[in-house]
Amino acid sequence: MSHSPFDTSKPLPVADGDSAEFWKALNEGVFLLQHCEDCGDVQYYQQAMCRICLSENVSRKPSSGKGVIYSYSVVHRAPGPAFKADVPYAVLLVQLDEGPKMISRLVESDLSLVDFDLPVEWVGVEVAEGVTLPCFRFAKS
Amino acid sequence: MKRSIRGQAAIIGVGMSQVGKVPGKSALYLAADATKKAIQNAGIDKSEIDGVLTGMAFSSPFHRFSIALSEYLNIQPRFSNTLQVSGATTAASVNIAAAAVMGGLADTVLIAGGDSLLTGMSPDMSLRSMSESRDQQYEMPFGIPVANTFAMTAARHMKEYGTTAEHLAQVAVCHRNHAIQTPGAQMKTPITVDDVLNSKMVTTPYHKLDCSLISDGGAALIVTSAERARELDVEPIYILGGGEYYSHEHIFLAPSIVDTGAAHSSQKAYEMAGITPSELDVAGIYDCFTGTVIMMLEDLGFCKKGEGGPFVADGNITHGGTLPINTHGGLLSYAHTGISGALLHFVEMVNQLRGECGDRQVPDAKLSMVHTLGAGFATQASTVLGTKETL
Ligand SMILES: [Zn+2]
Repeated sequence: MSHSPFDTSKPLPVADGDSAEFWKALNEGVFLLQHCEDCGDVQYYQQAMCRICLSENVSRKPSSGKGVIYSYSVVHRAPGPAFKADVPYAVLLVQLDEGPKMISRLVESDLSLVDFDLPVEWVGVEVAEGVTLPCFRFAKS
Repeated sequence: MKRSIRGQAAIIGVGMSQVGKVPGKSALYLAADATKKAIQNAGIDKSEIDGVLTGMAFSSPFHRFSIALSEYLNIQPRFSNTLQVSGATTAASVNIAAAAVMGGLADTVLIAGGDSLLTGMSPDMSLRSMSESRDQQYEMPFGIPVANTFAMTAARHMKEYGTTAEHLAQVAVCHRNHAIQTPGAQMKTPITVDDVLNSKMVTTPYHKLDCSLISDGGAALIVTSAERARELDVEPIYILGGGEYYSHEHIFLAPSIVDTGAAHSSQKAYEMAGITPSELDVAGIYDCFTGTVIMMLEDLGFCKKGEGGPFVADGNITHGGTLPINTHGGLLSYAHTGISGALLHFVEMVNQLRGECGDRQVPDAKLSMVHTLGAGFATQASTVLGTKETL
């Protein structure tokens, strides 16, 4: 687990029935995606049924944690006081190798080098006791 | 036969409160003040209003804002709702009002809104309240301001099509020039492309002057049946077509972040109206950010995909160009009063079609549209408007 660039007054994810297992696994260092056993679709947004074919035959498997930066924006004006100490930081729209996109944040990387299509890898960032966010850094390889 | 609201209902009255910095006034007051003016403009009595539609207001505690506003005005409507599809709420409200009138749910519908974003809450509160409209699990914890979702779409558009920061800045300059011509606009100081590029970075590629304003204010429209409208001593502006499209909730589940659902909502509205986009004389386009306008010019069919930047640079969106838009100055320079912000676009388009815009009048304007959107292009609603000659 990396040192948190966040502070505890920030909004924290509150798990629901669809996502409890996902957040629990992240906290144990595993980043899960959902795979539909019927149509093969892979989803990041956790829901108890496949959003393509509506099958509930969906299983969770660890993600490769690898992807590329599809788009990004470097935040200079924080969205509220909780993020003021963090600016500037890059919010990423990551395209995972498995297909789904996700919103995340660039960590442990040189912000001035952030660019489209750069390969990134996931890193868990503990933002509060028992709460880990899936963040990304430039791929090491 | 294809069912359609074409020509069945009309806007008979428009009103606005003072906008910009309006301290000491509640969201309900601002909406009610605009309503009073719209009723006056329509030449009706408030007892005729039997339908009330609003969005929510960030600075107001009322979840049922439409009901609270009805009480404030002592109106007991038989048709009401507080709609929530973010920035798309306004055109959606107009479409729904026309359908409600056509379907007999109401005879005369008030569409109103107001908010006190500038003086009724701290800038942090308003930013925070807007960013909290993002997902609590998958978006917000990463520190994603509302501007950020739009910024990422603009960034990708720049990469794919070569749209430049100067193109974005030109949108801001054009809107400022329009606001300078409009009495009551919040921003009256001329700006240049360099001013935009040198203004503080908010979230790349958006500088402060690429972002819409934070304002107090309210606006209102009165919609009634075409038959009733013709009995009144006003020029009715007819609702000729409406379309909506909702492509996703989360930005990361958007089918595309450069091709938006606006293409679908506008296509439906044009088809219903029986027009092509090239026939429009003037338009109101939701301008929460400069890049949003560029993408909408493409998706609404005014230029080819990827050519929105050069289209703006060639002077097409101002007076004398192919399609003057947001002639009041828009959310970028007239005012952004939150969910009700795009009601100001409707007010301006009605005034244009009535020929009441004075120095900023688009000559002979007969056909217009307003396109509204929200939530990082998740929600899209379009309405085509026209004078009686267009029926
Ligand atoms: Zn499936």
